[in-house]
Amino acid sequence: MIDIKLDRVSKQYRLRTTGNSRRRWYSGAFRKRSSGMWALRDVSFQVQQGEALGIVGHNGAGKTTILRILSSITTPTEGEITVRGRLAALVDVSSGFHPELTGRENIDLHGAMLGMRRSEIRNKLESIIEFSGVGQYIDVPVKRYSSGMHVRLGFSIAAHLEPDILLLDEVLAVGDAAFQAKCLDRIAELRKAGRTIVFISHDLAAVYRLCDRALLLNHGRVVADGPPRQVIDEYQQMTFGNDATPGEIGTEPTAAAQCTSISFLSGDSNDGIRTGYPMVARLGYRARQTIPGAVFRISIYWPSGYLCAQLTTESSHGGVDLEPGEGRIEFQCPVLPVVPGLYRVDLSIELNGQEIDARQRCATLHVGPGISVSGDFYIENSWKLTGGTSSEGSNRQYH
Amino acid sequence: MGFSEFISDTLGSILKKVEPGISTLPDRVAGSSVASSGQEPALPAHWESQAGARLASVRPIKVIRPPAFSIRTVFGGLQTLVQYSDLLWILSLFRLKVRYKQSALGWVWAALQPLALMSIYTILFTRVTKVATGGIPYPLFVLCALLPWIFFSSSISNAVHGLVLYPSLLTKMYFPREIIPLSYLAAGFADFLIGSLILGGFIAHYRVSLTWNLLFAIPLVLVLASFAAAIALFFSAIQVRFRDVGLAMPLLLQVWMFTIPVVYSIESVPVRFRKLYLLDPIAGLIENFRTVVLRGAKPDLASLAISAAIAFAGLVVAYAYFKSSEATMADVI
Repeated sequence: MIDIKLDRVSKQYRLRTTGNSRRRWYSGAFRKRSSGMWALRDVSFQVQQGEALGIVGHNGAGKTTILRILSSITTPTEGEITVRGRLAALVDVSSGFHPELTGRENIDLHGAMLGMRRSEIRNKLESIIEFSGVGQYIDVPVKRYSSGMHVRLGFSIAAHLEPDILLLDEVLAVGDAAFQAKCLDRIAELRKAGRTIVFISHDLAAVYRLCDRALLLNHGRVVADGPPRQVIDEYQQMTFGNDATPGEIGTEPTAAAQCTSISFLSGDSNDGIRTGYPMVARLGYRARQTIPGAVFRISIYWPSGYLCAQLTTESSHGGVDLEPGEGRIEFQCPVLPVVPGLYRVDLSIELNGQEIDARQRCATLHVGPGISVSGDFYIENSWKLTGGTSSEGSNRQYH
Repeated sequence: MGFSEFISDTLGSILKKVEPGISTLPDRVAGSSVASSGQEPALPAHWESQAGARLASVRPIKVIRPPAFSIRTVFGGLQTLVQYSDLLWILSLFRLKVRYKQSALGWVWAALQPLALMSIYTILFTRVTKVATGGIPYPLFVLCALLPWIFFSSSISNAVHGLVLYPSLLTKMYFPREIIPLSYLAAGFADFLIGSLILGGFIAHYRVSLTWNLLFAIPLVLVLASFAAAIALFFSAIQVRFRDVGLAMPLLLQVWMFTIPVVYSIESVPVRFRKLYLLDPIAGLIENFRTVVLRGAKPDLASLAISAAIAFAGLVVAYAYFKSSEATMADVI
């Protein structure tokens, strides 16, 4: 069953300048304007019942516009949308609060704005208060709440809606870690209950974790649609360019030592860099003076921006001594454990804990499919059945 | 397979080429045709449970299309309004609560405004100059007209600002927008009821004998409320686009008040102008209100009919206009 269907949907916003042009109201208001900004252009996609769809893209790519149209806040300029089921949007959860009213009163108000009936709100009141964790302040005007309490109460109300389709926009960007975890649990619970979810976020890790499928929007068009990992890679590629292994890196003549190039090579074949196979990272440098105990560091980041792994000379007897001139340092990795994807790479040279050269996002590492893995890492292993018929093996044999 | 499982591999690539020549736009002020069919399923108390049962239940199907005005938009709008009737109720209650929060006098303010105006007009029109009231004590004469007028004018002036007061409500949440102006109307009506108690006190004080004709006050107030709703919906929809409305409103209402028989009697209007004069529904309504409450007489049914016709027709037009402008309110606010 298809819950959401967008059929060639376009949306144009008129960018009206509200400046002090005096001709504005008679010329602007009654003359049909042709200028405008297309926030969405011919967007078509479908969301199956029970599916969690993530939408990623740069600011202004049209993500929020899709949500606004789906939740009837605004209408499309062209195209048609079919929504099957009760839909609730969780967009900036505390926007419906009235500062003068108490938490309890705001639950009534906000719940009703989200389309709940009074009886429904009454039944769930205790549960909402408990989930939000603002318990003792529930009869205090919300203007006295901290911003975290605002968000917790807002999410708590929305989390108690029983929509068939839930739209989420950057809701997890706020609230502390414990509450975020709680929210993610609740969303996972919803998924398990078969609710359809459309999730918009810049938190790529959350998209990856929550969604079955992702869309990449760019300038109002869908440019990728597929498994989250693939789409996130594509997004990364779009952001940081297509260079898998850039050679030369621009130099700054003042630093005592600097990285001049980085390349990632397959360790054993010409099949490229693959999960579970050897990899070689080759880092070129230039030193202007003798540097005793320099530490090289290659930091590899997940698409989401979190640090995934580091290759460093730090552990080997306190660094390397550099002589003036050019050189190259090679890291040998017998088994590359990370899953396929596009990784961002930072380089740095440190001396006594101080960076003397740091290159952020200077390269990307593209890991292709090798040994197939679920999860984030491949763990090199072999296995043996003990008891019963003796049998043993290594998963390597099956690939 | 975990998260990288591709559930929807059946879905094809959705990259589509743009067709040239689809840059023609629908009219900017046009309604959204949102057709809703099917009923809201009854919801179980806990979402965790009965998921399967719910999945099997009938789901409403909603089709969202570009705005295009049709009569169905209006009926669809009314249907949604009924669904959200609880919100209208809660919001109206909260308008009253919020207004008197953190104020020392609280609800007394609802009574103070008409009483203060009554006092100043009484001094003006009995000491400074005289107004013919047909034997009715002037304080009673003016208070009886002030109450419906204040209901009308304060509802409108609050409602017009209501929509633009919290823009984030419009851009971030969906509910029928007319609920905001209508909730101000409901709050204004509550003030009207409080004022009526005070009027009752004055009626008792001056020993005015009431008659059964007082019951005509009910349809009169109903027509008054409809007309107020029409004006409020119409101007609040314009206010979203042009803030000029909000700026002009105080002036307009002030002038309007002196064009209707609040501080003076309709008897002061020359007879040859009176037909024209009564085309303003408020003028007829206020004079009739005074007639049925203080004079104990039957209202001028002809003028009531004109008022009602204009008010109801106005309400239909204003609602249709509001709903059609609602489609793009979030874009232009």
